[in-house]
Amino acid sequence: MTILIGLLNGMISAATPLLLSSLGGALTYYAGIFNIAMEGMMLSGAFFAVLGSYTFGSWQAGLICAILGALMIALIFILFSVVLKVDEFVTGVGLNMFSLGLTTYLLRQIFKVKGAFTDPAIVPVPNIPIPFLSGVPFLGRIVSGQNLIVWLAIAATIVCHYVVFKTRFGLRLRAAGYNRDCLDTSGVSADRIRVWSLIWCAVLCGVAGAYLSLGYVKLFSENMSAGRGWISLAAVILVSGNPVGIALVSLLFGLADGLGLFLQRSIPSQFTAMLPYLATIIALFIYSARRRKATGN
Amino acid sequence: MDSLIEIEHLIKIFPPNVVALDDVSVDFRKGEIHAIVGENGAGKSTLMKVLYGMHSADSGELRYHGKTVRFAAPGDAIQAGIGMVHQEILLVNEYTVWENVVLGQEPAGFFGRIDHGAARRIVTEKIHEFGFNLDADARVSELSVAARQKVEILKLLYRDVSFLILDEPTAVLTPQEIPQLFDELRRLRDNGHTIAFISHHLDEVLELSDRITVLRKGRKIATIPTAETTKSALAELMVGREVVFKPIKDNVPAGDIVFDLNGVNLKASNGKDLLRDVSIQVRASEIVGIAGVEGNGQLELVSVLTGLQRPDSGSLKIHGQELMDSSILDRRRRMSFVSQDRSRMGGCLTASIMENMLMTHHRLRSTFTAGGGILIDDQKAAAFAEDACRRFDVTYATIQAPFRSLSGGNQQKVILGRELTLDTPFVLLDQPTRGLDVGSIEYVHHQIMELSRAHRAILIFSADLEELFRITDRILVLHRGKIVADLETERTNIGEVGSWMLEGAKSDA
Repeated sequence: MTILIGLLNGMISAATPLLLSSLGGALTYYAGIFNIAMEGMMLSGAFFAVLGSYTFGSWQAGLICAILGALMIALIFILFSVVLKVDEFVTGVGLNMFSLGLTTYLLRQIFKVKGAFTDPAIVPVPNIPIPFLSGVPFLGRIVSGQNLIVWLAIAATIVCHYVVFKTRFGLRLRAAGYNRDCLDTSGVSADRIRVWSLIWCAVLCGVAGAYLSLGYVKLFSENMSAGRGWISLAAVILVSGNPVGIALVSLLFGLADGLGLFLQRSIPSQFTAMLPYLATIIALFIYSARRRKATGN
Repeated sequence: MDSLIEIEHLIKIFPPNVVALDDVSVDFRKGEIHAIVGENGAGKSTLMKVLYGMHSADSGELRYHGKTVRFAAPGDAIQAGIGMVHQEILLVNEYTVWENVVLGQEPAGFFGRIDHGAARRIVTEKIHEFGFNLDADARVSELSVAARQKVEILKLLYRDVSFLILDEPTAVLTPQEIPQLFDELRRLRDNGHTIAFISHHLDEVLELSDRITVLRKGRKIATIPTAETTKSALAELMVGREVVFKPIKDNVPAGDIVFDLNGVNLKASNGKDLLRDVSIQVRASEIVGIAGVEGNGQLELVSVLTGLQRPDSGSLKIHGQELMDSSILDRRRRMSFVSQDRSRMGGCLTASIMENMLMTHHRLRSTFTAGGGILIDDQKAAAFAEDACRRFDVTYATIQAPFRSLSGGNQQKVILGRELTLDTPFVLLDQPTRGLDVGSIEYVHHQIMELSRAHRAILIFSADLEELFRITDRILVLHRGKIVADLETERTNIGEVGSWMLEGAKSDA
């Protein structure tokens, strides 16, 4: 029982950052942007979360700084890909490397440490106990005491689904991806819609980064996003952006991650750490096979 | 009757020196269907695009409801109540009909939530009001082209557009779909909408319109009530009076059949006939011209001949050798080809003049390559390119300069140089003089004469009838994908060819 609870909690904490950044990626996916900068946005968010929380002594400030840090990456993306029409892939790769370099440099300059920075002055994002549920066996130990950002991620899933499929913005967002000329001639600037999708993507990726450094643990380490942005890209493509699908895929990847931690007792950790990436490859393979079947070649 | 729109002395020049509209004045009255007719390049689409705010006029005035207006962008025109249905349909295929119609002006409530009920109701009402046979919930990807066109019109009606411009709406329709469109347009007119209708099919124009404006080479020739004109009178206005010009063709006797195309059929994916039983023979030394209003199958026929598109049936023989199943490279051993699009199909703008001159030669002739075809022998290639440039009178800085640095006429000469130095029995020319100045046209015509003297068989597609009369032995007319006439150039005249082109039949007049 304890093992199962541990596994489920591991799954949830691994799935949360993936879910948030994948939702951000989904918004840009619908807008027709090949956005691979989630990795850089998340990493930047994770660093500035720690910086904000440490400097101002509050997790709220950390969360806001995380979002601003990710927005900085998004604004550069907007400048290059939307305004200057540079190739999106090249821009994304460049920004991911920039983000890694920037956060590593600032870590060493500001905190004078190499590798990782942790300090009692960093205020983490709180966990939310649910009083009347905490006493319930099993369920209480999963639902109660989860991090605030876990709940934010769940709310974001519902809001994203609503916005994309039910609202005016959603109709225009998807039109920008399907046929941008049609949207332009309908009197709505497709570029404007793209800019908004990138801004909301950055907000979600910033929160994802804050979860990594202020929720899951209480520290920042170099390259702490560790490829999660890439996995979320795979998740987005796998379900063609559908927010509910993204939630399910994120949980699946989270399970692989949790399973990896659990299996470390018997298998060398280098192998178990591969599990999420292996799951990504298998998922993409299934996606490709399914699509081939659908298109008949 | 009230004039809804008055256009006064409109002039539009495309730099550097193309006068697209030359002092055009037209008025559109409220509640009429006004057809704009003219040959390709007569300025029909340009006139409408100025009206719609896609182009700005260089001079002239536009009055709408009696007030002088100037639309900077299509959005302004739509706001004012002027909308255009373009030839290429712009819809989101993944969306339903109602989603496409409301996109950009969605009825929405709290938190931007689209009021689905209201949106669907309004769209359904519009569909009933105008008698469109459409399902508001159908997905656009599942609709026919005709239905998509209706969605485009509906989109404008939803935006309360009262003046509708339709740019050749029948070009994408099958003959069975056209009467339905016309019924709908008449109903719109009877509802008080004003419609400008661009077409070059005179039968359609006479059937549908109330008044007709004829444009020729950027000038307005006449605006006449439909009831007071006839097909042949219109054809004469469109094509112009018979011009006297000297044919330069000398009488080289034609030899054996070199090029033999037989029974080519091609259907579009929606079942529309693109080419119908097309058969063409060209003899050695013979120059055969293909005339026709653009969009009657020329593009498809050229694609079939060059191997870019497979026909549904038919054979293609050059010197008795069947080529319909051959690769493009194999065809190129027997066929020179000058495409109408210099910068995309004919040459590569960023590659050097030498490389452009060498293309195809480097595959067919081993003298330009070294190392078993892997390397290009630069010295021989440069010598060849320089020689060809001299022979074809290309003005250039260095042979290594990019192709884009040349003027249009010189680019065309490079392409002609490359293609005509290929030693092929058959030469295919697609609008070889389009966009060239008079001097370059003259030069190209003389090169074509040289080919004829060298006993090559020549097939030329041209939108310029005067050109065909100047250089060809025979003129074939392509109309709705079918060769409807095979005329000896010496025994016909522009009027006759014109009526075949426009009506697919010989004019009675």
